[in-house]
Amino acid sequence: MLEAIALSKTYGAHTALHPLDLKIEPGEVYCLLGANGAGKTTTINLFLNFVEPTAGQAKIAGLDVTKQSIESKKHVAYIPETVMLYRNLTGLENLEYFTALAGVEKYSEAQLRGFLRDAGLPQQAEDKRVGVYSKGMRQKVGIAIAMAKKAGALLLDEPTSGLDPKASNEFSELLKRMSGDGVAILMATHDLFRAKECGTRVGIMKQGRMVASLSTSEIGHADLERLYLQHMHD
Amino acid sequence: MTQVIARKEFIEMLRDGRVRWTGGIVLVLLAVAFLTGWTRHHELTRQHSAAQEATRKHWLTQGKKNPHSAAHYGIYAFKPKLPLAVLDTGTEPYTGVAVWLEAHKQNEFKYRPAQDATILARFGELTAAAVMQLLIPLLIIIMTFGAFAGEREQGTLRQLLSLGVPARRLALGKALGLLAGLGVYLVPAVLLGAGAILFASGTVESAASAPRAIWLALAYLLYFFTFAAIGLSVSAWARTPRLSLIALIGFWIVNCLVAPRAAVDLVKAVRPTPTAFDFAQNIAADLAGGDGHATPAARAKQLEARVLKQYGVSKLEDLPVSFAGISLQDGEEHGNAVFDRRYGELWDAFDSQNQMRNWIAIAAPLLAIRPVSMGMSGTDTAHHRDFATAAETYRRDLNRRMNDELRDHGKGKDFGHLVGDDFWSQVPDFHYIAPDASWAVRNHAVPFLLLLTSAVAAGILCYRTASRLRIE
Ligand SMILES: Nc1ncnc2c1ncn2[C@@H]1O[C@H](COP(=O)(O)OP(=O)(O)OP(=O)(O)O)[C@@H](O)[C@H]1O
Ligand SMILES: [Mg+2]
Repeated sequence: MLEAIALSKTYGAHTALHPLDLKIEPGEVYCLLGANGAGKTTTINLFLNFVEPTAGQAKIAGLDVTKQSIESKKHVAYIPETVMLYRNLTGLENLEYFTALAGVEKYSEAQLRGFLRDAGLPQQAEDKRVGVYSKGMRQKVGIAIAMAKKAGALLLDEPTSGLDPKASNEFSELLKRMSGDGVAILMATHDLFRAKECGTRVGIMKQGRMVASLSTSEIGHADLERLYLQHMHD
Repeated sequence: MTQVIARKEFIEMLRDGRVRWTGGIVLVLLAVAFLTGWTRHHELTRQHSAAQEATRKHWLTQGKKNPHSAAHYGIYAFKPKLPLAVLDTGTEPYTGVAVWLEAHKQNEFKYRPAQDATILARFGELTAAAVMQLLIPLLIIIMTFGAFAGEREQGTLRQLLSLGVPARRLALGKALGLLAGLGVYLVPAVLLGAGAILFASGTVESAASAPRAIWLALAYLLYFFTFAAIGLSVSAWARTPRLSLIALIGFWIVNCLVAPRAAVDLVKAVRPTPTAFDFAQNIAADLAGGDGHATPAARAKQLEARVLKQYGVSKLEDLPVSFAGISLQDGEEHGNAVFDRRYGELWDAFDSQNQMRNWIAIAAPLLAIRPVSMGMSGTDTAHHRDFATAAETYRRDLNRRMNDELRDHGKGKDFGHLVGDDFWSQVPDFHYIAPDASWAVRNHAVPFLLLLTSAVAAGILCYRTASRLRIE
């Protein structure tokens, strides 16, 4: 569903991503770990065609994201670290707008409110302008937008940043449900615990290189942390 | 999808305080301009028709008099105001709207408010045209500068593009939303304007001006479209809304403040026109024979010889007619030739200035909309010239009638020949009908085409920049 083939990116002399090969099948949850500046966001941005690859290819549902950029985006939903919304519109209006533009089926107002509730947004906030929302509330609207798109793939860049522990936990449950529905998920995160919890595979990145890639079923939480720290120290 | 984008843009615009304030102010100023335009129009039209009636009445009841004295007595002619003059007073405050038609002289126009305007009167000159030409573009800038740059800074552009929204669709949706947002202010403005025109001129006259109104509306729509497309382009190009706003305000300053000023100076320098004083001096010199023709004394001698020969007599006393009448008409005709040449030069100079200004309009659409707006409102120099020519034709006919009467019936009495009211009433009243819309449009074909060209060019620019939309 998501595929990187010798995908790389350099900014001038600096290589943000060394050639990366990665394949994420439907139902897999791939968690990208790594220090700040390791290249996680760069990888996700390459899949979204927000940045031009220096070499290699990124594919979503078999579509090359640079050559079929509009078409490939139909199959993917994206939640950034900070979800950006229209301040002058309410949470519900934002969701309505983004889902309409995503070109998915037309939802009724009740269905839209349902998505917001599933994402954990307090009901009384639905009709308030987003300008007064907290970061976590905006993040929840972003989650609702991603869910409503019913895409085959999810690209998540630290999606739970700013969420309270309860909301974080609910989000993990949500990811598991979606993975059960056959959605391929690529998530950049700093949360080792969550990665072990809901990921099917984890990849550790360091200075633009994928230094380790393993299945979560092979390893316990403590081992994952040790492995991660060990890579960071070398 | 386009419709969804347009709707959201529209809603955001309605909720944006900056747009609401600017739009509200523009609407209030427009309402004030319509109101002053209407009262001014109404009052002046009333004054003019009263004065026109009075001057005719004086002429008809001036009593027993020598025809040449009557020609000196003269009459006033007032340029009628077309209904759309409510919107745009054009050059009238500078060129005047009334002229005194008398013997021997083609007079300058009178009643020029700009000449003796107080500060207060100047403030009262706020016209709808000025608001539409200067302030509505500002409103459009406020509405468009953040269209893309704002979303880019907010990060919503990233979100949108991650959804697979094609950039051109986005641009089209934003343009349509802008149209709707602008409509919120323009529709009431148009209704107010139509009301002001109807109240000032009545339904019959207003209806007759409908073709002019349509052309005027078309020209302004092209002008606004140009600003909207430039606004969207700059917003699509600029990294931040602040940069976008600065660039657009810069363009506005060049268009609305710098270009008109520069055009005036440039045109004056390259195609100078004589000052009013020099112009009068030149005419006086020409009349005195300075134009290479004979001096008045020599001309009188030549005329005498010609007339004696024509009637086959040897002394003026033997003529069957009044030589005074013939001599006066000869003087008129000499004067007319001088006026035709000198005024012709002056009008041609104005025309060539206008043409030059047209070309500067390539850089500043204001210089294209201004002449079109004045032209459709009937207040430009072309309409002024048309009226002046009609008034001058009437003056010449009037003088010829007076001189012919003196010649044919004044033998032996010359200036002692008196006529009464029944003769005055044989002189037809002065009636002037302004040219139609197509004449006005033809006069301004070049600025019209420039407006169209700049709108198309701005549209293409917008399409191009929107197609290459950057996220950051
Ligand atoms: N536009 C850019 N120009 C130059 N260098 C860039 C650009 N964007 C990212 N980089 C560099 O690429 C490298 C990888 O950045 P990236 O944002 O992918 O890191 P990350 O793993 O997402 O980090 P974090 O955990 O802080 O989010 C960094 O060294 C960064 O400085
Ligand atoms: Mg990152």
